[in-house]
Amino acid sequence: MRKVMRNVKRWFEWGWGHKLRTAVLLAVFSLLIPRPARSQFLDPCCAIMAAGLSTISSTLGNVIGGGLGSILSVEKNISNFEQSVVWPQKLIAQAQSLVGAVQGLFNQMRGVMKIPVNSATLPASRQFEQNLLSGNPNQIAQTSAQYTTVYGAVPSATAASPETRDMIDMTDATAQAAMKKAIEIDALADLELKAADQINQSIRAAAPGSAPIIEAQADAWLVRANAYTQSATADLMRVRAIALANASENLKNGAANAAAVQQQIYNLLKRQ
Amino acid sequence: MAALTNLLFVFLLALFGYGMVRAKSRRQVLALTLAGVLAVAVIGPPPAQAQGSLVAAIQSVLNVINGLIKTALNSMNSVRTAVSNFYQQATWPVALINQSKAMVTQMIGQYRSLMQSIFNINLRSATLPNPTALENVMRNRQTTDFSSLTTSFANTYGTVPAATAAGPADRTMMDMDDALALDNLKTLKESDAADDLTLRVANNIENGASQAAPGSAPFLTASAVAASLESQALTQRMLAAELREEAAHLAHENALRKRGAAMTGDVNAEILKLLERK
Repeated sequence: MRKVMRNVKRWFEWGWGHKLRTAVLLAVFSLLIPRPARSQFLDPCCAIMAAGLSTISSTLGNVIGGGLGSILSVEKNISNFEQSVVWPQKLIAQAQSLVGAVQGLFNQMRGVMKIPVNSATLPASRQFEQNLLSGNPNQIAQTSAQYTTVYGAVPSATAASPETRDMIDMTDATAQAAMKKAIEIDALADLELKAADQINQSIRAAAPGSAPIIEAQADAWLVRANAYTQSATADLMRVRAIALANASENLKNGAANAAAVQQQIYNLLKRQ
Repeated sequence: MAALTNLLFVFLLALFGYGMVRAKSRRQVLALTLAGVLAVAVIGPPPAQAQGSLVAAIQSVLNVINGLIKTALNSMNSVRTAVSNFYQQATWPVALINQSKAMVTQMIGQYRSLMQSIFNINLRSATLPNPTALENVMRNRQTTDFSSLTTSFANTYGTVPAATAAGPADRTMMDMDDALALDNLKTLKESDAADDLTLRVANNIENGASQAAPGSAPFLTASAVAASLESQALTQRMLAAELREEAAHLAHENALRKRGAAMTGDVNAEILKLLERK
């Protein structure tokens, strides 16, 4: 105890002897001494903060909550409208099932059109008919030979006049081309029926947003099919044009023959 | 991090106290004091804000909420409302959708049975038994009686003569002509049956349209285009048959022409032989 008292006395003496240093140290320690925490209830700063936060909270509730609520209500309205009026699931499913029913009718149509129609009875005509109805473009190479077997070949140069041979050859060529075109068109029609089947199947699996893409493809196929139809129609018109030209050639030949006969009679009469 | 800062603070404070105790002159004390003040001024934390700046901060948050955010939300709300109105009044107005569906139903009632009755008018005109039978079987839209068609055709147009009754070339050409005529009559029976199915497809699609929604109509449209493609393919099949028929007609005439040329050549040869004998 005495030692402690002695030390305290020494510190006082030092402090008395160094007044400036003691004052600076006291000032520094008093400034840095820990202060009591602010009370939530007694401190006005906390009260203001609480009131501010409460105001912010109610403002958030009214302004942002209210605004978002309104937007949500409009969005719900749009969603209901789209689901009940624009894209009702039930009607979409109904349309898809209708596409399935149409598919069934397509299958029946294909079945009907596949029934064989062959009717020839003699060997040469049977073979030729089989070729014509084959719908197989690989058989086009045999068409000309089989045609000649059934309808005969162009007469030799000694057996007919050049005009007649030209007409016969042109007529045979047009008839054969038309028959080959018929095989080609049958093959194309088969492919189109297959494509239509595929398109219809993909429509069944489509969504309202993807169906128009398939429709565009189907439209493209339709345009292509129209082009093939036009090509077949063109061949048909060629056949008819050649038939007309033949009729005209017959008239011309008749006129030429009549003139030749007249000349022969005139020559005979002259001799007498 | 906070513990390290506290440790540093205590260390500097102890250093400052030690320096102050050990200072040997007033000048050193003054210098140490100035250094301490400078250190506190530079390193020390900024003073806490007063009550006035807290109120200002809260007010500024409220201003942001009531100004910027409120305006943005109101704008979004008005845009979505406009979109909703646009959908309901301009793009997909329910009244017009119902009107379209009603129009489809009305047109079904107005045209379908009328067109069907026109399409089903009996066109048969033959009077004698054989042609009547052939006409009936030709026009009955069935695909299960091809043998009856062949029989009726033979009854009306006859059969290919026996090998002793006609030359081979004539027989072959007659058989080919008959075959192509029969092929086409059978193809027409098939296409008549396919026509009926095509009309059913059209009716189904039209019925579907009368109950469709804007979102389900694209399925029907796409299916209708696929049906058009099928129909076009069947038209091509018929066109191919017509091509065969016309070509065979041309080939038949040409074969007769060839035969005429051959006969003319034969006659010429016979006349020459006769003249040579004389």
